Amino acid sequence: MDHLLPVEIVEAGQAFPEMLAACADLDALLRLKGVYVGREGSHAARLMDLLKAAPKEQKRDLGAAINGLKQQWEEGLKACQTRLETAKKDQIALAFTWDPSLPPPVPAEGALHPLNRLMDRLVEVFRPLGFHVEEGPEVETEAHNFDGLNIPEDHSARASSDTFYLAAHPELLLRTHTSPVQVRTLLRVAPELTTRGGIRFLAPGRVYRKDEIDPTHSPMFHQVEGMLVGHGIGMQHLKGTLEYALRALFGPHTEIRLRPSYFPFVEPGCEVDVSCPLCAARGCRVCKGSGWVEILGAGLIHPNVLTYAGIDPAKWSGWAFGMGVERMAMMLSQTPDLRLFYENDQRFLKAMGGLD
Amino acid sequence: MWIERKALAQEIPAVAGLDTRQLCELLASLGFPVDGVTAHEGTEVLDVDITPNRGDAMSHRGLAREIAAKLQQPLMPFAAPAIQEGAPVVDVRLESPACPVYSTAVLDLGPGATPLEVQTFLLALESTPKRLPAVDASNELLHRYGHPTHAFDAERIRGAVTVRWAKTGETLVALDGVSRTLVAQDLVIADESGPIALAGVMGGDGTKVTEATRRVLLESAWFDPKTVRATARRHSLHTDASHRFGRGADPAMASVARDLLVQRLQTWCGAKLSSAWTVGAVPSTGGPVVLTNALLTRVAGEPLPLPEAAEALRRLGCAVDVIAEGLRVLPPSWRHDLAIPDDLAEEVLRLRGYEHIPSGFPPLEGPPEPLSPSYLQRQRLSRRLAHLGFHQTVTYGFISPEEDEAYAGADNPQAGRTLANPLSREYSVMRASLLPGLMEALNRSASRGAKETRLFEIAPVFRTTPERPKEDWCLAIVWEGETGGEDPFTEGKNLLERGRFYLTGILESLGLGPDQARECVQHRYSWGKDGSGTEVGVRVWCAEVRLKSFPGIPTRIIPAFTPFSRYPEVTRDLSLLVPAGQSHADLRSAMVAALPGETIRDLRCVDVYPRPDDSKAKRTPVGQQAWLMRMRFQAMDRTLVGEEVDGWVAAALAAAESLGARLRA
Repeated sequence: MDHLLPVEIVEAGQAFPEMLAACADLDALLRLKGVYVGREGSHAARLMDLLKAAPKEQKRDLGAAINGLKQQWEEGLKACQTRLETAKKDQIALAFTWDPSLPPPVPAEGALHPLNRLMDRLVEVFRPLGFHVEEGPEVETEAHNFDGLNIPEDHSARASSDTFYLAAHPELLLRTHTSPVQVRTLLRVAPELTTRGGIRFLAPGRVYRKDEIDPTHSPMFHQVEGMLVGHGIGMQHLKGTLEYALRALFGPHTEIRLRPSYFPFVEPGCEVDVSCPLCAARGCRVCKGSGWVEILGAGLIHPNVLTYAGIDPAKWSGWAFGMGVERMAMMLSQTPDLRLFYENDQRFLKAMGGLD
Repeated sequence: MWIERKALAQEIPAVAGLDTRQLCELLASLGFPVDGVTAHEGTEVLDVDITPNRGDAMSHRGLAREIAAKLQQPLMPFAAPAIQEGAPVVDVRLESPACPVYSTAVLDLGPGATPLEVQTFLLALESTPKRLPAVDASNELLHRYGHPTHAFDAERIRGAVTVRWAKTGETLVALDGVSRTLVAQDLVIADESGPIALAGVMGGDGTKVTEATRRVLLESAWFDPKTVRATARRHSLHTDASHRFGRGADPAMASVARDLLVQRLQTWCGAKLSSAWTVGAVPSTGGPVVLTNALLTRVAGEPLPLPEAAEALRRLGCAVDVIAEGLRVLPPSWRHDLAIPDDLAEEVLRLRGYEHIPSGFPPLEGPPEPLSPSYLQRQRLSRRLAHLGFHQTVTYGFISPEEDEAYAGADNPQAGRTLANPLSREYSVMRASLLPGLMEALNRSASRGAKETRLFEIAPVFRTTPERPKEDWCLAIVWEGETGGEDPFTEGKNLLERGRFYLTGILESLGLGPDQARECVQHRYSWGKDGSGTEVGVRVWCAEVRLKSFPGIPTRIIPAFTPFSRYPEVTRDLSLLVPAGQSHADLRSAMVAALPGETIRDLRCVDVYPRPDDSKAKRTPVGQQAWLMRMRFQAMDRTLVGEEVDGWVAAALAAAESLGARLRA
């Protein structure tokens, strides 16, 4: 039937699907619609003119051909219009949508200080063994800081080159260790020691020594003291407790080693090493290749310390330990400079402290 | 203390068979950790850490004794020559109990020098040989056997030699060339012209041995440790001799060291002995100490065979009798630290090795104690603040008087909180406030470019009282910068104006009442330089609160039940134009007072227009602000009806109008 139609219209008919597909938006589609089926000058209008002018015997066939083409065009245009309209609606809807991968508002996050976290952790480790926390003032008497701890009157630690004293109160000083909390606590509980069944506690806190500020020294630092008084307490109880505690802190495969040492307030005294937690005792910079790291000092309470507090050393015995918090924190974190802990740069605190 | 390996092996040959690591571990297991090993003068030198109770171990022989006891290997026999004592050739008098024994000798020196190997030994220990036999021999003996001795130039001593207390004001120029004024508690060696040595500490310059010395008087005595320590400290004169006498030398070594010194001078420079003699007597040591089996078992954690314990103590030089209760032990003359049974128990364990101590848990003999409310409060506050976005800090307890001044109240004078011997003025006052430390930390963070800084500290502050500085636990918070604005959902807000409210809100959420919270919040300025170098102050919001001001931790785990309403809540808003300067607290109380207490649940301003820090907002009538007051009503027993609520709202409006507010059109 195509032979009845002008060549250019046949070609336009063939090009229609491609033209339709090229319509990216409704405007383009409208233009295409005008070209093919518009009221005037379109292909369809020309075909209608052709039909009017056609000889009678051709009209039936030509009419069928023209209708076929027009229907094809109109259907195509309509389908395309529906598609484009839906796409446009979707586009508009999308602009009113939050992309789900946008960053959410995260609640402000602060941090606990790394030294506090470490002390809290120690308390947590000793809690199941029945230890509670005892505390004392930072400004102490010479009696609590030295006398009650069997520290001789002429001990060099008492010198003003080592210990800070108060100008208005020559007998008062800034405690040089958390051990005066031992003295205070023992004095307090001595009368009721039997009824309460001994005592066991930790004493975390700030202490002061007259050291210049440098990467490994600070005039203020933190200690955690541990003490236990009971019946028949010996070195095995110290070893067993520390083994448990240090494994809880550093991991179940941690080994501990006791070495003889001397502190006036204990007898026997010892230094306690742990197998290096950083290299699993294979030898590294931290343990200087030895596989061991010194972690705390300890021992059985010296009878003079018990006697000072009014406790009979023939009936009662116990152990005590003391550890430096900064030292442990530096070892565990490999922080190169002690001063970072007191500088309180917010980025350091965020990175090193964190939240529980 | 420096220990030269070869010299150690001369005292205990078994050491030669150990490698350095084994030797270090052996020493550490005995309580003498090695801080380092260095090569000096072609030999290996160990830096051994000796605890202050072990003066007896401060020599090669002393450590060798320990190793021999541990390894059960023989010490080299002690080659002490027996010098025949004779009549005194100089009058030596002991006038103080602080020097009970004084062995001496007078010799005429001949030609000859310190042997090369002795010079090398001294150099390895970082002790400079003087190439004067009398001086070098004394030094060598000190390092090898631990007993300090001294040689005087006998021709420069005038008359009798006396060991006596110094007379106040006497002076002595010691070997270091420094003239010191002495006090009555200093023990001195004196001749008729005055002091010639500080006993056990340092010799005098006037009687020192020089190249010209032809005749020497030797001193090998024993001085009271306390006296020597006090003198050394008083005159800041810490010497090899004062360290050893100060920790307790072996009195039995006095004559032995003298003999060794005489022998060396005879061998090295052909010295001729005039006479050797001893004044006084070796002081008797303390009596025997009884180590009961029960104590040993308790300390060791298991029963130890008594013969084994006795044997260990004998190896350390103790005389031991096995008696019914345990062991009766007489410590050797060099062990001043073995005074009580516990000391002996430690020695038994030490020789046995701490690695053999068993391991167990102490039995619980009573109920565990809870953590104190004050401790728990601090734990909870710090956790809560950390979760609210604040960073916990730790700052020094002492600050400068100037910083303190700016924050301390007038009722808290600095004098009672000032240190007598601070590191420096910067760290001399126990702080009355935590804020100076926090402000400093904030400045540092801000100067390093932090957009927002939120810090807190919980620590004691100090308050002067007549008796002593009292300590109060405080919480301090500082907050500065711009908050939010880091995601599409949270608007960035400058804290300059709003920080006050944000911080007040934090304090309220920690448990302070609204008035209390508001009163705690203050602002300070953090000073820094801007880009052009001009000094600029940035407003920092801060608060400091005594922990006592916060509500305590409730004793009930779950509070007692209080009935609550199951009926719906009705919310009504009133938009009011209020005169500038209107207090919200006053307006709120006036409106609440006009409402029935049993149904008004909450009344507060929920919006202010224009926002005081919004420069783009359209203005309300001059001198006024628009406040949106929101009321929430709820009854316990019924659903509220519109008419009654309308009546209440009208009453609230009337109350507001009485304060000059009016309904916004």
